[in-house]
Amino acid sequence: MRPFTWLAPDTTEEAVALLREHGTGARVIAGGQSLLLAMKERTVGPSHLVSLGGITGLARVTTEPDGALVVGAATTYAALTRAALPGWHGVLSDVAGDLADRPVRNRGTIGGALCAADPRFDVPALAVGVDAVLRISGAAGDRTLPAAEFLRGNGITAIGPDEILTAVVLPPLPAWDAVVFEKFRHRVFDAAIVSATCALRRACDGTPAAVRVTVAGATATPVVLDVDAAATAADAADLAAASFHPDATDEPTRYRRELVRTLVRRTVDRAHTQQGSA
Amino acid sequence: MQKVCLTVNGREVSAEIDERTLLLEFVRDVAGLTGTHNGCLEARCGCCAIEVDGDVVKSCNVLAVQVDGAEVTTIEGLAPQRLAPVDHITTQSLAGMYRPLEAVRGTPEDLHPVQSAFHRCHAVQCGFCTPGMVMVLKDYLEENPEPTRDDVRRAIAGNLCRCTGYQHIVDAAMEAAAEMRGDPVPEGAAHAMTAAVDGG
Repeated sequence: MRPFTWLAPDTTEEAVALLREHGTGARVIAGGQSLLLAMKERTVGPSHLVSLGGITGLARVTTEPDGALVVGAATTYAALTRAALPGWHGVLSDVAGDLADRPVRNRGTIGGALCAADPRFDVPALAVGVDAVLRISGAAGDRTLPAAEFLRGNGITAIGPDEILTAVVLPPLPAWDAVVFEKFRHRVFDAAIVSATCALRRACDGTPAAVRVTVAGATATPVVLDVDAAATAADAADLAAASFHPDATDEPTRYRRELVRTLVRRTVDRAHTQQGSA
Repeated sequence: MQKVCLTVNGREVSAEIDERTLLLEFVRDVAGLTGTHNGCLEARCGCCAIEVDGDVVKSCNVLAVQVDGAEVTTIEGLAPQRLAPVDHITTQSLAGMYRPLEAVRGTPEDLHPVQSAFHRCHAVQCGFCTPGMVMVLKDYLEENPEPTRDDVRRAIAGNLCRCTGYQHIVDAAMEAAAEMRGDPVPEGAAHAMTAAVDGG
């Protein structure tokens, strides 16, 4: 690990000021479960670490008056697993409780996963899948950004050097009637090779009115597929597979393409059969 | 350099340390407690698992400065009598330490229920992974007193053991869970029978 200066601000404003002062060499650290691994390997070597650990209120889960769920960026996976979230918001608890391993879930944070922007991570995939909005604080003021626009590439996000991700906002419960997340990995604690999310909204008569299918892991950023609301699970699966490097014949790509097909079919199937939870 | 003060197993330990010091290094080199093992140093093997403010973490992937002021419990903190340093090992002290397996139960004077179950079930071979396994299982069983064998396997997914094949560790976890619930602990080789029946 390269030497760095440790900074522990008490408020988000202070943290932003510190990031601004120390420029591009400064990095934000929350749980550190991704960053410290990279620092030990010396693939990153920040000059300053700005810790979010001492900032109160960043690890809180609250509900807005309109029903949107605001999850503080420094909320750990373990806290999310224990949180009793109503309706489809509960999928966040399920996903947070079924990744990495127990000790890592006690440190790893939802905001850290988004900022690491690893294509294999579950939280960025789910955030895009349910069309979550991210709250960002910076020297130039606060702004919000849809998760799909926040993720720009493998390890690349839209966050500025003097900005901090403060919260992930899931849309209110009526936005979706069912949200299903599926992933494939070889060992329980591995990151997913491919994951798929299906968010479904029903019309008054119970037929699907809108379907949002998102595939992650196979590409640098999660991909939202243009699936017709009336499409069957098999049709959605074929469409998803066909849109993933259709010309490539190498084994790794073909393997992932079959995973995309299978996982999309499963998620859409499950979403169709799941009862409305709002 | 940064001043860090931790409460390790009830004892205050403070030191001026390099910012890069991992919690694992603080526990081993500053607090002098070497029961916490340095296995892979990349948060894979789980040999360094300890509790910070009641939550189990992999101490090789946490900076000591991140947890300044926290209460830390290591494997040494689970069995109070072992906190007293043994500076002179004699045949007598060893004879006093090793009692028949049946006699060792999870009582404050003996061992934590997870530790005594590991002892009875022979869940230890080389022992390198054991401190991490015990810490993770303690944390897990306190939250889930009635696990299935499959639940236990998932709970220790982040702990690698290269000797036992996990079978006896799962046996031990099931016994420890029973003991922590206050159920009667199965006698003798009963656990081996269950393991053979359910195949896991």
